[in-house]
Amino acid sequence: MQAYINSTGIISPQQTYDGTFFAAPIVNTDSMILNAMEPVYKEIINPVLLRRMSHVIKMGLGASNLCLKAAEGIRPDAVVVGTGLACLYDLEKFLLSIDDYHEKMLSPIPFINSSHNTVSSQIAIMNKLTGYNITYCHRAISFESALMDSLMLIAENKADNVLAGGIDEFLHNYYTIFNLLSYWRKETISNLSLFEGSHPGSIPGEGAAFFLLGKEKNEKTLAKLTDVQTFVTKCDVSYLKNEIDNLLQRNGLERKDVDLFLLGRNGDNQHDGIYLDLEKILPETSCVAYFKHLCGEYMTASSFATWVAANILKTENIPDCLIKKAPAQSQIKRILIYNHYLEKEHGLILLEAK
Amino acid sequence: MSEEELIEQLKTQIIEALSLEDITPADIDPDAPLFVEGLGLDSIDAIELMLLLERNYNIHIDDPKKRREVLTSVRTMAQLIQSQGKE
Repeated sequence: MQAYINSTGIISPQQTYDGTFFAAPIVNTDSMILNAMEPVYKEIINPVLLRRMSHVIKMGLGASNLCLKAAEGIRPDAVVVGTGLACLYDLEKFLLSIDDYHEKMLSPIPFINSSHNTVSSQIAIMNKLTGYNITYCHRAISFESALMDSLMLIAENKADNVLAGGIDEFLHNYYTIFNLLSYWRKETISNLSLFEGSHPGSIPGEGAAFFLLGKEKNEKTLAKLTDVQTFVTKCDVSYLKNEIDNLLQRNGLERKDVDLFLLGRNGDNQHDGIYLDLEKILPETSCVAYFKHLCGEYMTASSFATWVAANILKTENIPDCLIKKAPAQSQIKRILIYNHYLEKEHGLILLEAK
Repeated sequence: MSEEELIEQLKTQIIEALSLEDITPADIDPDAPLFVEGLGLDSIDAIELMLLLERNYNIHIDDPKKRREVLTSVRTMAQLIQSQGKE
């Protein structure tokens, strides 16, 4: 199974919505939340529809519209979205209004927006896409699940082009609950110093990234999506090593063939150990890079990593802001993304130069 | 409260209820049609406006024909509220 990434659209805490690859200065903030840097939505979403959309829907539709615009007329046969928490904010709003108004006089808008698959549905309605449409809410492997489904659709000739994406927004209630579990950093730090020292807790983030995956490559192709794997278990590095080797072997590769390992380390010393253990068994020649100091921690952060990897392969350049261990060779032809969430849900995404 | 004062209050409430971000009370003509022309509202907005009348003025209208008449313009909404002494 494989597909070509023929266009992307992304809204993230960095200035990425303009289609550039870290051309603007990297965001360096001590706000302890990495909120998305958003475009003027009226320029990419019908203003009449915009007023009823919540934040996560605007991000999702905005990023998907940017992706379709960059594709210059290619219409996807399917829309596949991954989201960990979906439209939870609107769902809470709707449920609270049921209580506040004693199950009477309920506003229709939070209800319309409260469904987990609102974003994929709105993408279909706005772009008149009547084909396969699905949303995966599989916590931190939602985006990987969306990619897997997209690859299968293309492999089974059920679609030539698939719009696949990952979306999650920052939610105050989610932040508060996970703060009780010391999942967020207590002391004030800047996002760019996330990996300094050893401390519990990370920084929350948010974002939406969409990819037009095609069976055939074209002149705009950024990279090839070669394989995706997920596993859900509490594991040590030897288990992880086996999973990585299995994925590579079925693609005729070994660890030494991977030029860059893009890791989802999030600066939380309670859960970073497996990344650090993995780095110890990676080949000397491999480059290691991190991405969560730029986008924060959220359940579909691997979609941001996929966008980063695709652009590294396209530009043949690794921005300095990502590098943990510099590459031994100048050419980057193959990237493996590894990300986990609380050491329970793990995702591997393999990308190659086109 | 005079009819004009009630109209100004309703305009603010409508803007908030319908998230009309780029519209100010001064932009709303109290006699212009609310739907299709004028503010260009639709059927979901009609439900929101009925909720506005129920929640803020304790006015409930069952008759669909009467609803359409009341939601003709901001002035017709204000006149209904005044006629029921709910301002």
